[in-house]
Amino acid sequence: MIKNLQTYSRSFFTAAWLGWKIESNWTDPFLFAVYSIIKPLAGAFILVVMYGVITNGNFGTPIFAYLYIGNAFYRYVGDVMTGVAWAVIDDREHYRTLKYMYVAPIHIPFYLLGRGIARILTSSFAVLIIMLVGVNFLHLTFDIAKVDWPLFLVTLVIGILMLAMLGLILAGITLLIAQHDFNVGDVVAGALFLFSGAVFPLEVLPAWLRPIGFIIPVSYWLELIRRSLVGNIAQAFPTFTGLSNLELLGILAGLAVVFGVISVYVFRACDHAARERGLIDLTTNY
Amino acid sequence: MVDTPAIETAGLGRIYKIRGAKKEEQKELVALQDVNIHIRTGELFGLLGPNGAGKTTLIKVLTTLLAPTSGWAKVAGIDVLKNPEAVRQLINMVSGGESSGYGLLTVRENLWMFAQFYGIPSKEANQRIKTLLEIVGLADRANTRSSSLSTGLRQKMNIVRGFLTDPTVLFLDEPTLGLDVGAARDVRQFIRRWMSDDPRRTLLLTTHYLAEAEELCDRVAIINKGKVLACDTPAVLKQKVQKESIFEIKVESPRLLVSQAFSAIECVTSVHFYPEDSHTVMKLTLREESAIAQVIALLTEQSARILSLQKREPSLEDVFVQLVGARIEEVENDDAPAD
Amino acid sequence: MTMLPPINKRHTGWRLFLMTVWGRAYPRVVGIQRERSWIVFDILLPMLAVSAYVFVYRAIKAPEDYVGFVIVGGAMTAFWMNVMWSMASQLYWEKEQGNLALYIIAPGPMMACLLGMAVGGLFATTFRAAAILVLGSLLFNVSYAVVNLPMLLLIFFVAMTALYGMGMMTSSLFLLLSREAWHIANLAQEPIYLLSGFYFPIKNFPFWIAAAGSFIPLTLGLDAMRQLAFASGPILGFISVPLELGILTGLAVVFLLASRALLNYMEKLAVREGRLTESRA
Repeated sequence: MIKNLQTYSRSFFTAAWLGWKIESNWTDPFLFAVYSIIKPLAGAFILVVMYGVITNGNFGTPIFAYLYIGNAFYRYVGDVMTGVAWAVIDDREHYRTLKYMYVAPIHIPFYLLGRGIARILTSSFAVLIIMLVGVNFLHLTFDIAKVDWPLFLVTLVIGILMLAMLGLILAGITLLIAQHDFNVGDVVAGALFLFSGAVFPLEVLPAWLRPIGFIIPVSYWLELIRRSLVGNIAQAFPTFTGLSNLELLGILAGLAVVFGVISVYVFRACDHAARERGLIDLTTNY
Repeated sequence: MVDTPAIETAGLGRIYKIRGAKKEEQKELVALQDVNIHIRTGELFGLLGPNGAGKTTLIKVLTTLLAPTSGWAKVAGIDVLKNPEAVRQLINMVSGGESSGYGLLTVRENLWMFAQFYGIPSKEANQRIKTLLEIVGLADRANTRSSSLSTGLRQKMNIVRGFLTDPTVLFLDEPTLGLDVGAARDVRQFIRRWMSDDPRRTLLLTTHYLAEAEELCDRVAIINKGKVLACDTPAVLKQKVQKESIFEIKVESPRLLVSQAFSAIECVTSVHFYPEDSHTVMKLTLREESAIAQVIALLTEQSARILSLQKREPSLEDVFVQLVGARIEEVENDDAPAD
Repeated sequence: MTMLPPINKRHTGWRLFLMTVWGRAYPRVVGIQRERSWIVFDILLPMLAVSAYVFVYRAIKAPEDYVGFVIVGGAMTAFWMNVMWSMASQLYWEKEQGNLALYIIAPGPMMACLLGMAVGGLFATTFRAAAILVLGSLLFNVSYAVVNLPMLLLIFFVAMTALYGMGMMTSSLFLLLSREAWHIANLAQEPIYLLSGFYFPIKNFPFWIAAAGSFIPLTLGLDAMRQLAFASGPILGFISVPLELGILTGLAVVFLLASRALLNYMEKLAVREGRLTESRA
């Protein structure tokens, strides 16, 4: 047991160091900072402009706060999932080291999770910038004194763990597919955007699509984030009004565990299939 | 009428700027220094040297992938820097240990694709592919995806790619790397046959297998640390060493031999010791064969037991050792410029 | 008897150009048939992402034409992705795999190679764009009011030409840079979506911001297509369609000429700096 824990931690922390080196080492710090600020802000501003065009810049409404905060924290979804899943492509196709990682006495899932850490850090920075811009320039209704910090921190941690598990599912699938032009994590995050209530309440969706939103943990996570940061505004939307914070937290934690278990099985199955088919050291780029 | 050399360089140099761990640290790496070679049309020319000697750098310059930082280079009389497009019409390159093409495509498809980049019509390309695959023994894998091939078979496919376009000047950078003994022998036979089929073809081969260079090459240049140390036919290079006698003595010694004592003997040009598990091999070059008696006497004085004594014909390795001062494997262990 | 007869005739000039295009397109054309995960990841999932923006407009009670704007913009992102990732940054992967050196030393022009990459990906790209356009229009009951179909097609064609010319220019950066270029392309994605008005009319920007964004061919292309395809298009258009067509034509010419010059220049620079062979940075 202790030996396993040592293996897991060695795999995780070495991968985290490596992930940070790769993420941060491609350019000078100034350009890296610009990259880390401009990209997420531009993404946020697409929705800001869409909203501003229709409402003539009326940013003081609850729906804007709903949309803006949901979109800001949704960055974690794409970034964490990409951070974990992209390591498979990077190591397999680019650095050609995946086979050596497999041969080494490390725990591959923990290795992949460690590789995702760097993205979590850059994502956190991006979310902070987006929130600061929203509060200072877009009159986002946000009172720091009213933030429920314990709820926020617990939600954030559970959410990141949950997203890492989703990333692991994606990493397993990535082991079996060729490298394509797109970033698999971003594409899946883009699809989940529709169902997670990130930028509009689930009631906007047709009735037959809403159940999908209620199954994915991201919906509960974003609702809790909103409640912890802008509780009064979150209450203006009916989607989860019947559920208390504790109930939501329980559902989120439960779904995180369920998806965690699913991720273990899916990754294991995909890993087995990849090794059976000789895909670990394959380069598939075309 | 003067024949245009196939490859010619004058004062060719290449310096790399290497970034250190911190971005402010930058140092220079001299990969090539004052390289002057002249390769005639129809020659199979070998470039011999340890890893990091500058062989691949020279190939990159000649194949228009890398600009020299000093001097010039011409292929078939065309400057590689001023007119690379014209050079590319005439050349091809195969690097050992690297795969080319795409894993998703079959062997035939990969080769056909490259033929397209050289303007070879599909019908003719397919015919040539078929013939070449038969020659190298890959005909039965023509429709196999290249991702399913072993390293050696991928290298064979890579070699076929080089010959497929019928280049006037072909560059082979360690082509037998990764091949088994039989496959390497087949490739060497193929190279010889390809050269003999057309006297207008020229081939520059880099290798650090001395036996391969000796077997194949009309002339050989020995390069180390970016400099060409010697350039001539293997026979002439060996003759330079052959003026002296080369002896190889296997010695069992209770303690380390005093090497300076042997160097001090008159007529001993060089002596090198190669310790192995249970004995030491001494390689001596003597101006006068009679000096061997003094060597034996000294060994006896140092309580060394002679296990065997052999007079050898010089090899390219001896030439290399004399020029560089160490065996090729020993030089590879030293810090050397990147290839 | 010789092993192999000499090659009878090697094609050069335009024939070599076209052969190179087809040669490089081939792995893509064949690849999408042999590895089909792109159907899910390149068509189905992006369709869902575009739908999310539709529902944002529905949530804030936008006029229905805006739904159409999102659908058309979402379809056009396929072409942007093809240019940036299938063409431009593909050179980065080619360099890492060692194929770039082999393309450079071959007589086939690099422009043909790039075009081949783009053409090869065009089937999947067009399929993606068509799927988003058709499915999106059906699912969300988009009403089109096409006033001039030939003009619409002309705008599309010219915008694509300019876009691919711009893509070739960007590709030249990848000859010189390694991972930085890949990250810069990644960095540019959202700002381009914002500035080009993929999901909203750029008329809403201050004039000079919209003008700056117009250097990206898709900006004016999308604006003109919306003006020609939707009832409220002309009111929400940035500048007139004929003017946009003229600018796009100019951009196409400039980008194509500049891409050739820049590719040559960057290749020479990369040869001088020794950046053409693998870096694994």
